[in-house]
Amino acid sequence: MPQLALTEAVFYILLSLQKPLHGYGIIQNVGELSHGRVKLAAGTLYGALNSLVEKGWIDALPENPESRKKEYVITQNGLAVLKEELARLSELVDNGKRILGGN
Amino acid sequence: MRRVIHKLFWIWQLEKEQAWINEMASHGYSLEHAGRLTFEFEETEPNKYIYKEIFLKGGGESAENLKYFKFLEEMGIKVVCYINYPGTCWVYTRALKEEYPDGIELYSDIDSKINYQKVMAGYLIFVIAFTLFAALLNTSIVVSSLLRNNMLMTLNLICAILMLALCVASVIAAVKAFIKIGNLKKERKIHE
Repeated sequence: MPQLALTEAVFYILLSLQKPLHGYGIIQNVGELSHGRVKLAAGTLYGALNSLVEKGWIDALPENPESRKKEYVITQNGLAVLKEELARLSELVDNGKRILGGN
Repeated sequence: MRRVIHKLFWIWQLEKEQAWINEMASHGYSLEHAGRLTFEFEETEPNKYIYKEIFLKGGGESAENLKYFKFLEEMGIKVVCYINYPGTCWVYTRALKEEYPDGIELYSDIDSKINYQKVMAGYLIFVIAFTLFAALLNTSIVVSSLLRNNMLMTLNLICAILMLALCVASVIAAVKAFIKIGNLKKERKIHE
């Protein structure tokens, strides 16, 4: 069965977690990647992180005793899902460009 | 300097209460503690903090909510205090205004906005059931004592009227929440 589309928030969270980041770091990274367009809110991010850990797409790392902030990182499963989503998005973009004639 | 103000806000007046607390903060009175009828403010520079009230499932001291509070704190959103109600809690949070100049927004996607409205609607249904029961109970006491002893139970009558008013207001608030949920679901069919 083909994978269902990821939400924009989940796509950008997975993309941000190629390296370990804590919640605030994810929000900043997503903001930078999207040039300020996507502003993840704390409650939404919290819900998404918990669901992703549950699905095994990301791991919660042991708490850093210095910063006392929990960090997260993508898993192999998460990476596979992200790549599949990228292929799906490429199809959308390619078709859009082909039919609308954009670059 | 501390300033204590007694004020009553009903369960559906969350936005009104929040606007009032933020207005106090803009005048240099930052909320430090809130009870059911009491608000304690500390004098600070004006606009130091921005406040946001949230409604959560479970008590404020539940492991799940404590984990959430810790996460919010990492984001610069501090829990000032919370009030427990049966099955839910009402949480007062704040952040530095310079870090959140546009206000604290906790939900940036449609699904979590729907979830939030569902928690709110669920609690209102509980309030409706409770107040309706109390109103009916008091009405039956008033009616039966009128019929039996020809005596008017004033206290029960007042109680019945109050509970009925509370019930009607909760129904209106619950309907509003369901309309919001409906609109958000419609929106979700097209947008994420």
